Amino acid sequence: MPKMKSLLPLAILPLTAIGLTVFADPLPPDATYRPLPTQPFSDVKRMDEAQKPDVMKRQQALFNQRYDMSNRPLPGVMMSGGRKPVQGGVRVKLPAGMTWERLANMSPDEIRQRNLFPEGFKPLPHVKQSTGGQVFPTNQIAEIDRLEQRDLRRFDVDFDLPDHLTPEFPPPIFLTTHPELGDVSRGQVLSFRNYYEIMNGIITPVQMEGLRLLLTPFPQEEFNQTEDRKVAAPSLGVACLDCHTNFHSNAAFHLTPDVRPQSARFRLDTVSLRGMFNQQIHGSKRSLRSVEDFTEFEQRTAYFNGDHVSATRKGVNLPDRPNQVAMMAQMQNIIDFPPAPKLDSAGRLRADKATQQELAGEKVFFGKGRCAECHVPQTSFLDNNMHDLKLERFYRVGEVANDQVVIPDGPIKTFTLRGLKDSPPYLHDGRLPTVADTVEFFNLVLGLKLNQQEKEALTAYLLTL
Amino acid sequence: MNVKTIAVVVGLFAAGPLFAQQGNPAGMMPGNVEAKPGTPAPGQYNPQDRLFIQLAGMGNLGEADAGRLADTKASHPSVKAFARRMVADHSSTNAKLADIAKQRNLSLPGEPQPDQKAVKTHLETLNGLAFDQAYLRAQLIDHQKTVQLLEWEISNGQDAPLQRLAVDTLPTVVEHLRMVQALLAETTGAPPQGLAASQDGAPPPR
Repeated sequence: MPKMKSLLPLAILPLTAIGLTVFADPLPPDATYRPLPTQPFSDVKRMDEAQKPDVMKRQQALFNQRYDMSNRPLPGVMMSGGRKPVQGGVRVKLPAGMTWERLANMSPDEIRQRNLFPEGFKPLPHVKQSTGGQVFPTNQIAEIDRLEQRDLRRFDVDFDLPDHLTPEFPPPIFLTTHPELGDVSRGQVLSFRNYYEIMNGIITPVQMEGLRLLLTPFPQEEFNQTEDRKVAAPSLGVACLDCHTNFHSNAAFHLTPDVRPQSARFRLDTVSLRGMFNQQIHGSKRSLRSVEDFTEFEQRTAYFNGDHVSATRKGVNLPDRPNQVAMMAQMQNIIDFPPAPKLDSAGRLRADKATQQELAGEKVFFGKGRCAECHVPQTSFLDNNMHDLKLERFYRVGEVANDQVVIPDGPIKTFTLRGLKDSPPYLHDGRLPTVADTVEFFNLVLGLKLNQQEKEALTAYLLTL
Repeated sequence: MNVKTIAVVVGLFAAGPLFAQQGNPAGMMPGNVEAKPGTPAPGQYNPQDRLFIQLAGMGNLGEADAGRLADTKASHPSVKAFARRMVADHSSTNAKLADIAKQRNLSLPGEPQPDQKAVKTHLETLNGLAFDQAYLRAQLIDHQKTVQLLEWEISNGQDAPLQRLAVDTLPTVVEHLRMVQALLAETTGAPPQGLAASQDGAPPPR
């Protein structure tokens, strides 16, 4: 409305005009697009290899400063395949002289101003933030090398988490189309070499073709043939199930493709694909609305860091939407959650199966703990939404840890809690090693003021899911 | 390696393993002198470091100039106090930046960025609340860009003392950004945005 506009303070208009013309400059010319390498591959490799011991030592120092990394399994609690025990105890370290109870009674402002927020609750940096990229665990590297003679080993970094704080390997596979069979993985890692034999006769031709594509390696930023790769020889590529081993997670990590500059990108812990059939949004930040969208767009994101220009240079794979993407999605949509025999069909505990402590934990989950406000049992412990915990109330934004700038997380999608005990570490970046850590985290962040008994009951309940 | 360089190297490693920068050698300057294999010696800068010195140096001058103007012209006492803090903080950072630049035989720019000069000329024509709001809106953009510049240097630079300066300065610049957001809310009546929406900066309750 012209009349309204004329009422605006005249002084504001010229500044807006100035802003449009000159505020875009000067900024660095390589702030958005990936810069090209400045040195020959051989020099970069030599320097990366020389740096590697310090890189790993620095990351281990950060882990040891933040967490108790010891191997302390919960007695009698195993992951769904029975191959690995679930780790117990709160592993995030408190500031000296502090207790969880005292901390929970402080305001976010006081915690921030006195720098008392536990370091382990802050975003977790990539092992080498300035480079980033996909990093695979040692067991996955060894298995793909054995099965396919394909090299997933980087020369600049190693995987940074100890084996006991990651999912069991190989994880079991449960199919929605054959609940009677239980785990159909035969204890093997699905790969291009064995998938047909393992799945022959129990999936459809369309699903089989989808599986083939999910196991087919395609070019990837850190593994492709050009000079900025971080593998010794140009790789045959990376397959979707190299991170999502057996449609679950092997705790391989990456940096989010959705944030710039590089130092502000947050770490991504691989999410499980179990229960995909009930998930409506995908990607911690991207909120892609179907698994088809996600499957197609991963060729721009996990594979190329959200840089389509770089992807084009390196040889991007663009799967055909009506056929290839649809078949890949169909295969993902028949992957079931692991069994939860204490739950009824609506996701509630069965009183005849659960312990008193677990039932008490369910009460906390729905009541004082406020967990069910987002993790709705009826819809696979999801709400298909993104939420902002506003964690930055508790810490100083702009701090740097191992070259990662800590900025607010912003809205992140709700992840399912079904099969939770199989999926350490927790939160989108894997900053929390155990289920008990997640209980302490949300107790503080949501201001729940749970007592010790309630925390233990809630932890016991979460392990039944 | 001269004595001064050795002292800087010792200081750097004494800071502990959590603080040592580990850059991607793909973006480093060819032919670096290395402090140890794979790690450029302090003072071995790449084009990004050099650009950072230029952009940060101009930015600091512009911030101090605008702050001095606002100290005399602003009507709101909190805006005046903010302006004085900008003069103090950005002058102090520029002195540190100048020290590092001097050790590398580089000089800092003598003038603010062109956009800062244009804004200052415009601000000189304003008074009262209109001045306060225009100054704060310009400060908002300036500090958003400065945060980005520091984050960029932390990822893309290679000269450890310069990157250390960026790391040390960033939380302060983020705090400036929060202050601008809070003052904009106060002077315009709009709800606070950005960090001012989640961090109120109030002293801890007793």
